[in-house]
Amino acid sequence: MFYSPVITNGSEAAASDKLHLFKYVEDSEQYKLMTFESHGGYKAWKKVLTEMQPQQVIDEVKNSGLRGRGGAGFPTGMKWGFVPKDSSKPRYLCCNADESEPGTCKDRVLMERDPHGVIEGMAIGAYAIGCHTMFIYIRGEFNHCIDRMEQAVEEAYAKGHLGKNIHGSGYDLDMIVHTGGGAYICGEETALLNSLEGERGMSRIRPPFPAIEGLYACPTIVNNVESLAAVPHIINRGAEWYRTLGTEKSAGTKLFSLSGHVKRPGNYEVELGFSLKKLLYDPAYGGGILGDKKLKGVIPGGASTPFLTPEMIDVNLDYESLTAVGSMLGSGAVIVFDEDTCIVWVIQKLIQFFKHESCGKCTPCREGTGWLKQIIDRIEAGGGQPGDIEKIEEICGNILGRTICPLGDAAVMPIQSSIRLWREEWQYHIEHGKCMVKTEFPFK
Amino acid sequence: MADDTRKKTTTKAVATVTLTIDGKSITVPKGTTVLEAALQNGIHIPTFCWHPKLKSVGACRMCYVEIEKMAKLQVSCATEAVEGMVVHTDSDNVKQGRRAIIEFILLNHPLDCPTCDKGGECDLQNLTFEHGYDDSRFDFRKSRFVDEGSTSTFDDVRIGPEIVLNRNRCILCYKCVRANKEAFGEYDLGAYERGNITQINSAPGEKVDNPFSGNLVEICPVGALTNSDWRYKIRVWLTKTTPSLCNFTSSGTNTLFYKEDHQNKIFRTTSRRNDDIDDGWLPDVTRYGYQIVNSPDRLRVPLIKKEGKQVEATWDEALDLIHKHFTEISDKMGSVCIGGLASPSLDNKSLYAFSKFFRTVLNSNNVDFRSDYRMLPPDAETVFSRLCSRPFKIADIDDSDVVFVFGSDLLREHPNEYLRMRKACNFNNARVFVVNPYATKAADIAALEAVYKVGSDEQAINGICLAAIDDNLVSGPKAKALAEKLSPLTLPETSKACGITVDDLRILARALAESRKISFMCGEIVTRSKERETITTAVSNLNLLFGLENKGQVASLARYANSGGACKLGVQPSPAPAVKDKLKEIWGGYPECEPHNTDSMLALMKKEEVAGFFVIGANPIMLHPDRQFVREGLEKLDFLVACDLFESETTEIADVVLPLCSWAEYDGEYVNLEGRSQRAERAVKPMFESRPGCEIIKLITAKYEKSLGEDEQLTSEIQQLLDLDSALPLPTEFMAVKVVVEDKQDEGFEIPLFVTDDPHHCGHLTEKSPSLTSFADDAYLEIGPDLAERLKLKEGDNVRVESPVGKVIVPARISEHIENDVVLIPRNFSSTPITSLLMRKKRIDRVTLSKVDS
Repeated sequence: MFYSPVITNGSEAAASDKLHLFKYVEDSEQYKLMTFESHGGYKAWKKVLTEMQPQQVIDEVKNSGLRGRGGAGFPTGMKWGFVPKDSSKPRYLCCNADESEPGTCKDRVLMERDPHGVIEGMAIGAYAIGCHTMFIYIRGEFNHCIDRMEQAVEEAYAKGHLGKNIHGSGYDLDMIVHTGGGAYICGEETALLNSLEGERGMSRIRPPFPAIEGLYACPTIVNNVESLAAVPHIINRGAEWYRTLGTEKSAGTKLFSLSGHVKRPGNYEVELGFSLKKLLYDPAYGGGILGDKKLKGVIPGGASTPFLTPEMIDVNLDYESLTAVGSMLGSGAVIVFDEDTCIVWVIQKLIQFFKHESCGKCTPCREGTGWLKQIIDRIEAGGGQPGDIEKIEEICGNILGRTICPLGDAAVMPIQSSIRLWREEWQYHIEHGKCMVKTEFPFK
Repeated sequence: MADDTRKKTTTKAVATVTLTIDGKSITVPKGTTVLEAALQNGIHIPTFCWHPKLKSVGACRMCYVEIEKMAKLQVSCATEAVEGMVVHTDSDNVKQGRRAIIEFILLNHPLDCPTCDKGGECDLQNLTFEHGYDDSRFDFRKSRFVDEGSTSTFDDVRIGPEIVLNRNRCILCYKCVRANKEAFGEYDLGAYERGNITQINSAPGEKVDNPFSGNLVEICPVGALTNSDWRYKIRVWLTKTTPSLCNFTSSGTNTLFYKEDHQNKIFRTTSRRNDDIDDGWLPDVTRYGYQIVNSPDRLRVPLIKKEGKQVEATWDEALDLIHKHFTEISDKMGSVCIGGLASPSLDNKSLYAFSKFFRTVLNSNNVDFRSDYRMLPPDAETVFSRLCSRPFKIADIDDSDVVFVFGSDLLREHPNEYLRMRKACNFNNARVFVVNPYATKAADIAALEAVYKVGSDEQAINGICLAAIDDNLVSGPKAKALAEKLSPLTLPETSKACGITVDDLRILARALAESRKISFMCGEIVTRSKERETITTAVSNLNLLFGLENKGQVASLARYANSGGACKLGVQPSPAPAVKDKLKEIWGGYPECEPHNTDSMLALMKKEEVAGFFVIGANPIMLHPDRQFVREGLEKLDFLVACDLFESETTEIADVVLPLCSWAEYDGEYVNLEGRSQRAERAVKPMFESRPGCEIIKLITAKYEKSLGEDEQLTSEIQQLLDLDSALPLPTEFMAVKVVVEDKQDEGFEIPLFVTDDPHHCGHLTEKSPSLTSFADDAYLEIGPDLAERLKLKEGDNVRVESPVGKVIVPARISEHIENDVVLIPRNFSSTPITSLLMRKKRIDRVTLSKVDS
């Protein structure tokens, strides 16, 4: 298997003037340096080295309106600007490739099929913040990504895109591929830095923010794979061009990982502001609900974001629109459930995941997720008791906003939203000891 | 003056912020957390995971506060106080948040309080009480780390020789793991698994046996970590506390004894935090050393020798015998033929009475408190004694930007200062430099650890000076003046002689030159060396060249609990001139006879010129670096008196043995290495018939029908001496350094041997503490992996260690951090006579090693 057989809209992107991340994603040779260069690869890197000052790069990215694609949506250029200019300490750039959010599988495709695009974006980011050693922290289970990335780094060194005095510019840049140990929490940037330092992967309290004191207590920028992969395109075609993509406040394109009860699950690059309904039902994308059943709900941005009901899917996929309907764009993992899905069952799976992945550092998340799992397990098994819903709600309230990192929030937000949207179904499950819906799926 | 500069750097204006907590306006230095601001102003905020000497991690979430204009509850331990902030610590929201945390923590906590040693002093118990939970909404079976089906809550994992872990009680505050790592630099404890099955445990294949491990038990907020010395012995509310001090290290670490009056027994020692000295951390030797007080092996009654055998006697009989024999010797040979050796761990009053007795009653100058050093120059006015007298502040290590350790295995010699050094590095970004003949545990934080050839101490220092001159790091005139004195030495030659590369010498020189505040410490490698005068001369040049004292402190650190007091009170043969003058003034006279130190007294014994000897608290046979020499000397004596807590090699051959009180059995004052005088109170009544040192001296004096004075008089005389500024300035001119080439090596003996203390022991008494012997109960050979491999030695192999004068057989212990060809053996165990390998006239002891086939 030379790459994961994931459905993409690569052919659409290849023909498009706007879509850029997936332009060559269906080219089975794109991972090779020669092919990448023949498609204009490393042009932006050379341009940056020869024509631009670091501040110009930061300004260009700032002007492009690029926002972090890992989930929080923080403006990338602004983040780079936080690195202290006068610090005598070394600075680090770290690409967060610990993609582990249930339903999210977009970075994986980029790393497997277009690894040099990621390296080029990282190199430009490193140059912008004055970093000479950059890291990519790849999820430990992504063996294929790790191989591809390591091979690409080797090629890049051999061709002089990395190393000492790159392309005669006098700029030195080293890149280290680091593999994770299999913990979701290490996708949280401070836990990632701890793990990279060889410590236990647990979140750090902020402030200090990594941009001031991150890896080895030095200024560090942590960016998502997709954010960095967009950077060379911004440099090549300009911030103005990038702003023409997407909406006013959500510029550019975004990868969405579509999964669950749809006919064509896969990764799709679309402009921000794309219609969720279209993504689900258009034959070029999701192609409709599996078995032509009715839709029950959608998680629009990865397992940690609140649900949307069928009435709410007439929404545009961008940061503001999703916030307006009470959910989040998150990492862009759209998980679809059909009418026969039991919501308690879904939540049980989710809380099992978050309980398992809670790092154990702060009390509310560590103890709260465990307790929630016990109660929800009991309900799912038919042993629900009166008052369980209220208890769950109260526990959720004691976790939300009270933890060190967003994992606690991520664990409780889907639970809270599911109770808000399908309370009678929870109630039914508790009273009757069984699901209100048919619950027949191929993968139960 | 050096001292003025220091003051300037510490009193610079600090920016402040003013905030309001619970309606009270509070001004604190910028950078203070909301929690600290509240605590400093008497506002209570509960915590589990916060510790004043560790970095905040915000894990337990117990310290929630509400801050106006912030949407969520904030953890006060990790929120910096900023100007104009309005904080509420007692709002309904805060109370609800804290109650939720207590509820979460109690979910899986076994609540086995009646059988828990922490009961009565448990943070969780207290905070549950405070928040008033009486019922649980948790209706599942609590998760337990015990065998399937068992209803016990006892988990009892022995994670170290002393520590037992109960994972069920653990509330995962991570204080133990953090202290171990941040404060002690140890990694033998860690957190494993994730989420609510996270557990604290010893690292795989390791035991938690680091020399500070006892602190982990003390800081545990619940009964998860307990130590065998306190487990199931007594309930805390049945004990009373007495403030005391560490009697084994020279820092004067503040401690608290927990005792029970009816049993006249001490049950444990905990810290009594003093930020100027100890930061609340105790080395294990301090924590468990108290056990010698309760030991059943204590000497019970006086013993006198009758027909070659020691038999029990009354105090009166023993004292009469001492008076009779000492008088006979004095009459026959003169008082100078009686000498005395006191332990530097005795209190001021005992030491002063000892010296006063010898000098005013016996009219002899033969008193000393040092038994573990080699031949020394007889002169009092040495560069070394000047270096020893320099002022030093432990707390000043904290904010030094360079900590320079020369010739010291700080962890073994000065565990408390070792922790301060780690603190300076971890918390204040100090750079640590260690220059030592072998690599030490400090290597992990050292910016540079330079290992020099054994015996080239002065050359290492000369090398740094020459590197500075070569790199133009110091002013021209200074450079020229010193270069002349050091001529014809050159940088490359010196580098070759000491084995530190020129590049490393340059780095060291640059660090000294660029430092703004320095702490420069010399240790035992210097103080115990036969050539310490030469070495300290080189250090004095270094000080002058870089102006070190003008920007910090340079000192040779006192080694024992009251070495400082002994010096200040003049308990050495030649006290500093100021001390001597003061004594003359107080006593109205001072013996004129020639003074002799321990080593020369022992030499005189062999010539039968010293015939009577009084040893109090010391054990020269075990600790003096030449066992044969000491034994021969003592055996030639007409009359030997030995006072100690236990039978020892020295009491064994004494004519009279007197049982001595430990420091826990009387009120005493001790001077720590900073010159700070502190008080240890009596915790228990004297064991058996033992008596405090001062009382013994007074009783003997009474036999002479004389008096040393009433208690108040002694106290006032001691105070006058302590008030003297006995600090002598370091030389202000550069001096030539006589480079000493090592004495001829005995053929076949090549591997340098260092005899030092085990990290869990100090001196000859601690082997009577069961807890301390659980860490180490006999001598061993510490050896680096390279040398071990060449000699085909494996961990635990028995090794024959031979020197030209003796041999011992000890098991090998491989220490990864030792990289060069040196070996170390601890001297704290009477079963292995290590000092029999040593020669007092040699600069370096060299041995040969061979594996013993069993």
